[in-house]
Amino acid sequence: MSRTRRDPREEREARRLDGNARPRWRLDTPPSSSRLRRDPRREAEAARVPGAARLRLDRSGRVAGTLAPPPIAAEPIAAPTIRIIEAPAFLIAVVPDAPGGRLTPLDRQLLGAARLLSDAGGGAVLVLSFGAVDGLGAAGVDRTVALAAPPGGDPTMRTAELAGLLAALQPRHMLFPESATGGDLARRLAARIGEALFAGAESLTARLATRPAGNRHVEQRAAPPRLVTLAPDAQLPHTGTVHEARRLEAPEIAPAPAHDAILSVEDLPVAADALPLAEADFVVSAGSGVTDFELFRELARALGATPGASRMVCDAGLMPRAAQVGASGTVLEAACYLALGISGAPQHLQGVARCEHVVAVNTDLHAAMVERAGLAIIADAQQVMPALIAALKAESQR
Amino acid sequence: MNAALGLSLVIVALAVLAAVEGARTARRWRIGRSARVDWRTGLAAIPKRYLVDVHHVVARDPYAARMHALAAGGLIAGSVLAALGLMPPLGHAHLFWGAVALAFLVALAGGAMVGRRRYPAKPARLSGGAFQRLPLLLAAYVGGALLVALDAASGLAGPLGWLGLAVAAAGGFGLVRQLADGPMRHALAGALHLAAHPRPGRFEGERATALIPADLDAPRLGVAVPADFAWNRLLGFDACIQCGRCEVACPAFAAGQPLNPKKLIQDLAGSFKAEPPTYAGSPYPQAPPVAGLGGPERPIVGAGALIHPDTLWSCTTCRACVEECPMMIEHVDAIVDLRRFQTMELAAVPAGAIPALSESRYAEEPGGRPLAARTDFAAGLPLPLIAAKGSCDVLLWLGSGAYELRHGRTLRALVELLRKAGIDYAVLGPEERDCGDLARRLGDEATFADLARANIATLSRYSFRRILTADPHALHVLRNEYPAFDGRYEVIHHSAFLDELAADGRLALAAAPAGRLAYHDPCYLGRYNGETDAPRRLLDRLGLERVEMERHGKRAMCCGGGGGAPVSDVAGERRIPDLRMAQVRAVGATTVAVACPQCAAMLEGVTGDVAEVRDLAELVLAAVEAAPVAQGAAR
Amino acid sequence: MKTLVLLSDARHPVSGRPAPTATELQAINLARGLADEVSGLHAGPDAEAARGALGHGLARLEHREIPAGHDPLPSLLAAIGSEAPDLVLAGRRAGAGAQTGLLPYRLAEALGWPIVADAVALAVDGGVLEVIQALPKGARRRWRLRLPAVVTVHPAAPAAASFALGTARKGQVGAAIGIPAPLDEPAMEERPYRPRPRLIASAAAGAGAAERLRAATQAAGPGGRVMVDPSPEEAAQAILDHLRAIGVLKPASGR
Repeated sequence: MSRTRRDPREEREARRLDGNARPRWRLDTPPSSSRLRRDPRREAEAARVPGAARLRLDRSGRVAGTLAPPPIAAEPIAAPTIRIIEAPAFLIAVVPDAPGGRLTPLDRQLLGAARLLSDAGGGAVLVLSFGAVDGLGAAGVDRTVALAAPPGGDPTMRTAELAGLLAALQPRHMLFPESATGGDLARRLAARIGEALFAGAESLTARLATRPAGNRHVEQRAAPPRLVTLAPDAQLPHTGTVHEARRLEAPEIAPAPAHDAILSVEDLPVAADALPLAEADFVVSAGSGVTDFELFRELARALGATPGASRMVCDAGLMPRAAQVGASGTVLEAACYLALGISGAPQHLQGVARCEHVVAVNTDLHAAMVERAGLAIIADAQQVMPALIAALKAESQR
Repeated sequence: MNAALGLSLVIVALAVLAAVEGARTARRWRIGRSARVDWRTGLAAIPKRYLVDVHHVVARDPYAARMHALAAGGLIAGSVLAALGLMPPLGHAHLFWGAVALAFLVALAGGAMVGRRRYPAKPARLSGGAFQRLPLLLAAYVGGALLVALDAASGLAGPLGWLGLAVAAAGGFGLVRQLADGPMRHALAGALHLAAHPRPGRFEGERATALIPADLDAPRLGVAVPADFAWNRLLGFDACIQCGRCEVACPAFAAGQPLNPKKLIQDLAGSFKAEPPTYAGSPYPQAPPVAGLGGPERPIVGAGALIHPDTLWSCTTCRACVEECPMMIEHVDAIVDLRRFQTMELAAVPAGAIPALSESRYAEEPGGRPLAARTDFAAGLPLPLIAAKGSCDVLLWLGSGAYELRHGRTLRALVELLRKAGIDYAVLGPEERDCGDLARRLGDEATFADLARANIATLSRYSFRRILTADPHALHVLRNEYPAFDGRYEVIHHSAFLDELAADGRLALAAAPAGRLAYHDPCYLGRYNGETDAPRRLLDRLGLERVEMERHGKRAMCCGGGGGAPVSDVAGERRIPDLRMAQVRAVGATTVAVACPQCAAMLEGVTGDVAEVRDLAELVLAAVEAAPVAQGAAR
Repeated sequence: MKTLVLLSDARHPVSGRPAPTATELQAINLARGLADEVSGLHAGPDAEAARGALGHGLARLEHREIPAGHDPLPSLLAAIGSEAPDLVLAGRRAGAGAQTGLLPYRLAEALGWPIVADAVALAVDGGVLEVIQALPKGARRRWRLRLPAVVTVHPAAPAAASFALGTARKGQVGAAIGIPAPLDEPAMEERPYRPRPRLIASAAAGAGAAERLRAATQAAGPGGRVMVDPSPEEAAQAILDHLRAIGVLKPASGR
């Protein structure tokens, strides 16, 4: 039984009059999506299970004749209409990381923050991207400018181009993700133009931004300056309306040369099995249910995962001590943890507490690891490993 | 001129030769730093120290005790008597030579026991090489001398006497040659070590286990080269007879970690000699290779020196080797001195120990956790702060175990018992810093001294009668090591405290069935502080079926949790707690009672066939909680 | 090869006591791999925390005394001008204060030197510095640049040396008055920090409350899919499908 929650911003947007420089709203019609008053008796009647001698209510909504939520006029999710902001009052510029042209979660959160900032005053969200980026409209972007400087490599050229755009387009804010790439670029730009940077904002409105300082003992609060970086998981990404993401021509900016002291920048190939566990994104780990460690290492290579192990395996010398996962070994930051034959001692589970996804292969249905796992296979890990390797091989040959 | 007179002359000549060899040996100790030695007391006390204190250790192996008494006693008695034969009235008396023969006969019996121990098969703990030749030389000297004495006693003066004299002279010469660098060195160095021992308190009934503070203003901190040791410590290393008792007792050696206390002492004894004698005992298990270069002014530790750092960091500072050493050598002092140089001059600590040392220094807590979170374990139990009360009867020192879930349960049980017994207790709360045990054992004396001074300054602001703690490491540091920093407290372990309460009737106990139970002595309680009775008395009050492991009391085996060994984490072939848990299971115990947070953590980490790990406080609380029900049922 | 490490007036994150910050100590460690003698530089009212770095392998500390709240940049620039280092290293963030991580960039900009962030390894060959830069998810990037340069250090760099009293006693401190530079912008309002809940950035975010709740409990809580005794092949396929669904494995190339 869920009550439809009102979204005042959504309601106001729905009554917005298009085509004006200043935002104007239709105020004549009473808001049709206003919350309806509940009628408990009617709800109970609707939830009544038919045919039962004793009164039985099913409020899960499965029973036919359930009280449907009152239809909201122009449900935005049901029929996405493209919202067009023709003449924005100002621009909020966003420089996403977008590696490989795909927005990262933090990029989406950043766009969510930019959306709120621009909607609060009738502005528009402008994405400055190095190379084409997918799905900008749904992420709440009104305008995009593709930049000339190449992504990756020496950021000096990108810094100069951003400084030129900042001068040419005069956005109210330029937002960066507080990530390795975005944070670096933001600081380069701030240093280049000699402006303040509000680094790692955890909340951001037009009037007030906050950030942690002093080893997270102090919160600094100020009206946000032009340059802001946003901390991860501080804002929700934009959902609902789709925006037009109109492509703008980049203003003419004199191309900046690369820094002459920088001779080369190249990405190094990273072997997953040589990664320190603490940095690994995908860890496959062996416990006492694994006996063939050659096979285990082969599987890790085939999956492109970093091999780890339980304490017992490391104590027995079957895997190096550096591979130990757990409170007394390494605490993982990985996105996914594939546990082979690990029952999941409390100290071990502490080591995977921050893993988003856990997959367990174990013979014991009642093992703690099975309970923790998003997918649990109750089987002998020794048997599953060769099957996994074979399946991966078969796929690569297809 | 007869063979008997010849023997007397040979013995005098050997004595002169021995004096020369002895002087050569003693001169080498002079490279060491000076040490304050009370010679008069020390020399006068040698017989007592030898006959009582050394014998107490040696007699744990009755065969060795008899062997040594016969061989050494007979040899000395026979030799002295035979030398007296130079005096004409004695030299012509048949009866006198009969007595000499008897003494040498006794020595020969002892020599035979020495031989029987080594032949046909030598136990692993004993060294080979020159030690294998020792019974032969002994037999030659005393056997030859016996022939001479018998010859003289019988008045035959035949060729047998001359033959015996030749054999005795050869054997005796061989023994004297062993005096500087061979097995016989122990006789000279051992006797002087008893007189000039760096911890004379050990012979006065003290445990004398507190580490000696390092001089933090010295030009070089800790020991880098042999010349950095005090001379009487070098003397101590030379006293080693390579009996291998330390090797048998060492938990790191048993676990296959690269430490063997016997080889360590031999390396140290060889480190200041131009030509170190060859070592023919068990090596450091799985030790990385070292260059093996030594010298009075050359570094001792390092891949290019004598001892690999892993050897140093394998030690749990459990003092089992010291406890077992019949020559009263102080292995742990040597290891900590060497660690001090590694830590305070070279910053060459094991990777795992770096965070613990840094956090001890900068957060005053080895885990880097907030000091205020130390009392989080209480979870609702009242823990009055002494800052609020100003004074109390019993100040409860929580220790770093309070942050761990496992020890938190123990402490909750202890606090519950204090409440039930109506004790006026309080804690320091956020004012309690780490006691500094870990930093000190890892050689960071500077951080230890800072922590000790800060804690003593805090404690001086409050009035309390005594400090109670469930952590024997904190107990040892507060009780024995803070006095050097002018902090003197009456510190009591919770085992002794609960035993007191039970004896006074302030805790009503009822039997709480727990199956067969074995008590595991914490090293820092049993060996370091001699407290082995109170925990057993307490357990026996609970009416449990208690069994003793083979290694218990002051000779108990370490759990592997001391001396920073868990953070140093030197690889071995086995784990020490696994070995200890196997010993628990070997006596059929289903519960192992512990009295230390380290022991609890290490033993709980064992997997497979294990006994349940319960702290004394938890067992006592179970018995107290069982008591009112039992009374109610009786009523 | 002359290397200078910038040191902040750091505080321990938990105890709040003066304590050198980890990445700055790691910077000292990296610098010692390039040159035997490493100097430190601190501009601020007092150098207690920076002095602590002397025990972690720093041979010499230059302290430029400026009043609290002043901009350290002019003093640092002056000191760098007189010391003439080939390489300036800094931590990722200061160990106290605003911790924006901006200072090394401002310094590089003022000096006209290149800056590389998040180094985990350094090597020098004939005036050319090779920097291995840490990127998220264990990726690495190699930079080659001509000295002089500014480099900041990532926490994944080799661990710092532990404190050694002997080294600390040998360290020298040179103190001089710095260049006062009051900041013209007003100081920010400060309050005690209260951690904010991390917002759930799942697909359902922004949708209805019930969907958000479901997404939150499914992501964190128990109740995943369990397959009991499947054939190894079924199990393998289920695992691969799951790994693809959560985006850990790339889609199979053949499909």
